[in-house]
Amino acid sequence: MMPQGTHTVDVPLDIQTIWNFVHDMNNWAPLVPGYIEHEILSDRRSTWAFKGDLGFMKKTVKLQIDIQEWNEPSEVTFDLKGLSDNFKGGGYFRAEAIDDKTTKMSGHLDITAGGMMGAMVNQILTKFVPQTAEELTEAIVEKLLEINLVK
Amino acid sequence: MSSSIPTHWDKEVDVIVLGTGGAALTAAVAASESGANVLVLEKTHQIGGTTAFSGGVPWIPLNHYMKEAGFEDNREDAINYIKRLALGRADDHMIETFVDKGHEVIRFLHDHTPVKFVTPKSYPEYYARMDEALKHGTRSLDPAPYDLNEIGEWGPLVRQNPLFPPLTLEEGGAVGGIDFQVVAERMQNNIVTMGRSLIASLFKACLDRGVETLIETAGKELIINEDGQVVGLIAETKVGEVLRIAARKGVVLASGGFEWNKQLVRAFLKAEFTHPVTPPGNEGDALMMAMKAGAALENMSEAWWYPAMVDPTFEYEDNVMAQLGSGRMGPNSIVVNKYGRRFVHEGTTYNDMPRSFFNYDPVKIEFPNEAPVWMIFDQQLKDSQLIVTMTPGDPAPEWVDQADSIRELAEKIGVDPDGLEDEVRKWNEYCEQGVDPDFHRGTIQFEALTNGGGSPANNLGKIEKGPFYALPIYLGALGTNGGPKINENGQVVNFRGEPIKGLYAAGNASGNPLGPIYPSAGGTIGPAMVFGFLAGQHAANS
Repeated sequence: MMPQGTHTVDVPLDIQTIWNFVHDMNNWAPLVPGYIEHEILSDRRSTWAFKGDLGFMKKTVKLQIDIQEWNEPSEVTFDLKGLSDNFKGGGYFRAEAIDDKTTKMSGHLDITAGGMMGAMVNQILTKFVPQTAEELTEAIVEKLLEINLVK
Repeated sequence: MSSSIPTHWDKEVDVIVLGTGGAALTAAVAASESGANVLVLEKTHQIGGTTAFSGGVPWIPLNHYMKEAGFEDNREDAINYIKRLALGRADDHMIETFVDKGHEVIRFLHDHTPVKFVTPKSYPEYYARMDEALKHGTRSLDPAPYDLNEIGEWGPLVRQNPLFPPLTLEEGGAVGGIDFQVVAERMQNNIVTMGRSLIASLFKACLDRGVETLIETAGKELIINEDGQVVGLIAETKVGEVLRIAARKGVVLASGGFEWNKQLVRAFLKAEFTHPVTPPGNEGDALMMAMKAGAALENMSEAWWYPAMVDPTFEYEDNVMAQLGSGRMGPNSIVVNKYGRRFVHEGTTYNDMPRSFFNYDPVKIEFPNEAPVWMIFDQQLKDSQLIVTMTPGDPAPEWVDQADSIRELAEKIGVDPDGLEDEVRKWNEYCEQGVDPDFHRGTIQFEALTNGGGSPANNLGKIEKGPFYALPIYLGALGTNGGPKINENGQVVNFRGEPIKGLYAAGNASGNPLGPIYPSAGGTIGPAMVFGFLAGQHAANS
């Protein structure tokens, strides 16, 4: 069972506005739940640190994100792997124009732990990953609406 | 003295129990079973206290599970063993009460509640090689797996130790050898073990008896009448609402120790420990109430000591979590002080090892072994054992100091390089000879507890294969165990030895009636449950 989650929201903004925000990681990195810091290493590679709230504990993790595809204005896909812990996965942001003023935005995340404790950690992640995908997507939408003054 | 009698009570019950750990819930069950109307108050937002966070094991001589498993025990042996470890600091009649009543309490719980145990057949007594010890089998009892759904909405409120997977002691829950697939299945099905199992099943017994529990409601002050009898309690909710609650038959203090109260720690303990391995909340509330009521105190300089380690990426309730670090008694490792010198048998029990931290050098006027001390190990150990949270095969995380030479490692961690180099050289010579004349590694049961006990093969291994690693070990504890002195009924007594009417204590909220001992797994929870039961029963019948 792969811990994963997708969250989709209809955003009252055009697709290009959303792309302009999403394509630059610096815009939304601080919106990642538990964000501590990130560092852009190249056009496609970055490292991140955040504190995951698992409910019964918090765990600080460091990971590396490698962008796989930039498909303007509709999709960013990425791979991720743990630098501090044994896990890997990936995700995407996808935007689909519904009309000139509305865009369907989806955020997806999948993370799978490996090693001796993999089965146990994945059980914990089963709840954490979809929750994080939802929180991040919602946070991005909220920020987009805020900076574009949508009431 | 304490608060005057209020003109109006917000609530009236027979018995108030403070806390929801093993002592508290056993007291609540016993009081309720004896016909009392019982109210349980829990200060925090979760139930289970230190017990839920622990292995949940009671150590009980002569228990019926032992007999069923074919392990022989007898009263005199158990009493002599406790006396040997207590070093003359426990009352004989309290030891005898524990030995005589403990197995009855376990039998009662087995017969009348969902609380069930198994005997961990491959989990020997910690001091099994001592003359007075039980040689075959164990007096420790392992909570059987329990379905958390049985307590409904209370299930998610049972406190959880993030580092204890839902396995029994024998399955390796606390000592390694873990089947993580079983762990995953139990997590999916809400099956709990160890401390969570004990708490959930005890709580079910409380629910079945109509015991009421209020969380986020702290006991603040005892109400004592003009005859010196405790007749109630002032409690306070999280939002500051004050409740005056009458206790017609008694108040049982079972709300844990004082390890999270720095002022009390400084006042009573031998050193200011930095890393309690317990949930926050144990702030000495019971101790302060008992002192105000005139209680005699005992065992105050003691705790359930633990050499704590830390993976700084784990946080529990806004604190970096002190952990039950594993690996220190394995081969290819030693523990050294700031001079790079060994100072203790590294594989002694967790309760014994930190006692060496308190050694005083009257010439240098210092405590040379003051924590943090350092566990030094090599790649061989790293490759073969779970060390804190590092699993074999995974790269060492950045919070572990490492270096290609012992000297470089010593410089990195601020330990005397000459001392450490010399100590590692000496250790490696001892390993070649198969004997440790300095501290006798490879000779005691605990250092290879479930693997046949200590031996040169199990515990003597050279530190020779780089990279070399160092991990700090801090002074920690599984709770304090000094507090108000109790008698054989669990009643708190004053300095004249007279019971303070209506006041009871058990568990870490009381002084350990067995003295400064940790006889084996469950040495904390065994007496906590037994004297909790006796307190609840006596209060209800008073």
